[in-house]
Amino acid sequence: MNPLLEQFLLEAREALEGIGEKLMSLEDAPEDQELMTQLFRLVHTLKGNSGLFEFPEMTRVLHASEDLMDAVRNGEVSYSQTLADRLLDAMDFVGLLCDDIEAERATAPSMAVDAAELARSLRKLVSSVVATEELSADPFPQTDISTATVDPTWLTRVPEAILQSALDATQNGTPLVWVHYTPSEECFFQGEDPLHQARQTPGFVWGGMAARAAWPVLAEMDAYRCMLNFDVLAAANIEDIRVHFRYVPEQVQIFAVSLPTPVLLGPPDLHDETLQNLLDVQREVLSLPDDVEWLAGRIKGAVASLSGCLRASGRAKDIEMLHTVAQEALQVASAAPLAAWMESAFPARSNNSVAPAEPAAAPVLAPKFEVASDSTEVITESDVKFGRRAEDANIPKILKVEQVKIDRLMNLIGEMVVAKNAIPYLANRAEMVFGVRELSREIKSQYAVINRISEEMQDAIMQVRMMPISFVFQRFPRLVRDTSRRFGKEVNLVLEGQETAADKNIIESLGDPLVHIVRNSLDHGLEMPNVRLAQGKSALGTLKIIAKQESDRVLIEISDDGKGIDPEIIKQKAYQKGLIDEQTLERISDQEAVNLVFAPGFSTAEVVSDLSGRGVGMDVVRTAIERVNGSIALESIKGKGTVIRLSLPLSMAVTTVMTIESDGQMFGIPMDMVVETVRVPRVSVRTIKQSMATVLRGRITPLKTLNSILGLAAPPLANDNDELATLVVRVGDDTVGILVDDFHETADIILKPLGGVLSGLRAYSGSALMGDGSVLMVLNAKEML
Amino acid sequence: MALNFKDKKVILSDVVGVEDAEALLEWLQKRPYARAVFSQCTYVHPSTIQVLLAAGVAVSAWPEDAELSCWLQSILPSCT
Repeated sequence: MNPLLEQFLLEAREALEGIGEKLMSLEDAPEDQELMTQLFRLVHTLKGNSGLFEFPEMTRVLHASEDLMDAVRNGEVSYSQTLADRLLDAMDFVGLLCDDIEAERATAPSMAVDAAELARSLRKLVSSVVATEELSADPFPQTDISTATVDPTWLTRVPEAILQSALDATQNGTPLVWVHYTPSEECFFQGEDPLHQARQTPGFVWGGMAARAAWPVLAEMDAYRCMLNFDVLAAANIEDIRVHFRYVPEQVQIFAVSLPTPVLLGPPDLHDETLQNLLDVQREVLSLPDDVEWLAGRIKGAVASLSGCLRASGRAKDIEMLHTVAQEALQVASAAPLAAWMESAFPARSNNSVAPAEPAAAPVLAPKFEVASDSTEVITESDVKFGRRAEDANIPKILKVEQVKIDRLMNLIGEMVVAKNAIPYLANRAEMVFGVRELSREIKSQYAVINRISEEMQDAIMQVRMMPISFVFQRFPRLVRDTSRRFGKEVNLVLEGQETAADKNIIESLGDPLVHIVRNSLDHGLEMPNVRLAQGKSALGTLKIIAKQESDRVLIEISDDGKGIDPEIIKQKAYQKGLIDEQTLERISDQEAVNLVFAPGFSTAEVVSDLSGRGVGMDVVRTAIERVNGSIALESIKGKGTVIRLSLPLSMAVTTVMTIESDGQMFGIPMDMVVETVRVPRVSVRTIKQSMATVLRGRITPLKTLNSILGLAAPPLANDNDELATLVVRVGDDTVGILVDDFHETADIILKPLGGVLSGLRAYSGSALMGDGSVLMVLNAKEML
Repeated sequence: MALNFKDKKVILSDVVGVEDAEALLEWLQKRPYARAVFSQCTYVHPSTIQVLLAAGVAVSAWPEDAELSCWLQSILPSCT
């Protein structure tokens, strides 16, 4: 089931519940205009939504309900008990349809008829007050059952052999109907294929076409104006035919084809006699030796005669059985099975009651078909009831849970992971301190089990919080359409990877930045069609938004093939704003210049018209992305287009940190800040004024000691080779080396923000519990440096 | 290609879709006495049938599919 449909079902159930509630409240306060309007809105929305899918029954009923509510709202119809009853019935019906859709069952054919009746009963309430022409708009107009005499020549178009088989088909009680289908002349333009539609008629027996009028000369011919009528002979219930043609009920006329009237062929005895003679002959034929090459022909002949006898004796329903036996006989190449069947079906002559004295229309092809009108359709005034009330509605399979509850689970599993990590320590102690190796091993194997379960549990809880990125993407088609329409631009929006999922917080935080970026592209990136054509591009601009998952991150790429960003203009603006000095202006590369759009203070009122749409600068976008530990990068080639890449964590719950040691204490630093770890020989550390620096991979990297940053007096420790452990971190666009005492392993932790007075310590982004029960302080490199 | 034009014959094969009617109409305007060969055809869109009808094209071979053949025979003339 696609997500849109799922969403629809969810909303539909909610709406149905709301409608029920409103109707109940209306019973107490029938004059309440506010309630009435709300009710109308609910019905209206539900109808609109149902129109997105192919649920003609639902839309029909809802449409009628909407019309009724509209009339009530406008005071044309007054609220009454009957009205509420019918509306509730209609909603129950819609609920039933929803059940069917959810269970992915095909809607029962009878539903179409029920829908029509419901709609009619609803419209009756309107039409009893308003003009009666409403009725003529009824989906199944009464005129589809023509009472006019149907041209008997219609049936003569059907080849006799086919008529015969049609009659066989009707022996089991299915009526024979004639469908006259007159598609609208514009049907080809609406994507309809009347021939295909007619061929798919249930119980299809024969079909033919006829021209509506003489054909024009070829030069004036319009091939795409449908001038054909279609006739279908089908063995099916009228309801099924209606369901099949439910989209075009006004173009179809259905006639029942009556069976030939039984004709007395003479005194029953004589008839019986004939039958018995025939049977005797067949018995004789079947008892002949089987070793002839024309055996198959002989069997088939006997079958034909026997089926005639069966039909004549009014036992047509046995014909099918006869054919099965015949197949068997043909397979084993022996007449024996047939002979045996014949003995059971037509016991020997002594029993005279074999062939009932019922008269038969022996040659069934008596050309006396009558096409008569079908009069089964009677509208009942009584309300159509459905066996379901609101209270026995299914309990929805989707729970709405407050986020707090999920967060609590998340916290608990975090603690569990930490508690679990203490077990290996315990195992080590058992072995090292108490010297019980056996116990240590058992603890470890138990740990493996707990580890697996807790990991799965963590994953399951994360899944609960996961949302597909389509949640954010779904607004773009509309946004792009509206915006491009307003600017007079032609834009082709390509969305990819909508199913990529990420944590709810991440997805939600993406919304505004993405909208901003897309708007920027539409507004400033993509050019007007004439400009594009002049530059040799196609008039239709392309805006691509691609999402994909790469290991534990979600990457989103927004690219357009517009005019790109001119680095010269950016440089000038940035210089004017005082964001860069003259030297930088000379030195800065184009790529770096383009990235200046992210600089805080770049987007001000002056540049709004040039670069940003609504005075929300790209720095706001960057801040929003960085708040959820994401990063943003921009690439632009003048005249070719712009690409913006966002990289976001899949989930905010687990952070990977690198543990480092300084002055005998352990600290954590988020892995995504770490560029590399190197050991710098003390001799290559230069002191420039008061700051230290070194040359790393051809670049000057400033160095700082962690101890001095944290206010610890101890100097950094060097290893045996007199090398200093340097953690190179990226802060914004700069890289800085932090001198620490030693590096340790990385760890997955659940980061808890500091609370109370400690929250004022900006150098730390939070704390985490380690497996051995110790507390790890996680450094916030950005604030720290 | 669903339509193949050969001298005075149009050979319809596989599924002849709605977009083929135009090409057929154009071709038929130049060849008033054409014939249609349906033997390899599995489906024809009604717009194409209309064009054949309007041009008075006779059919020299019916489709193998009995049902489709029956539909076409109900309206198109055979060339014998």
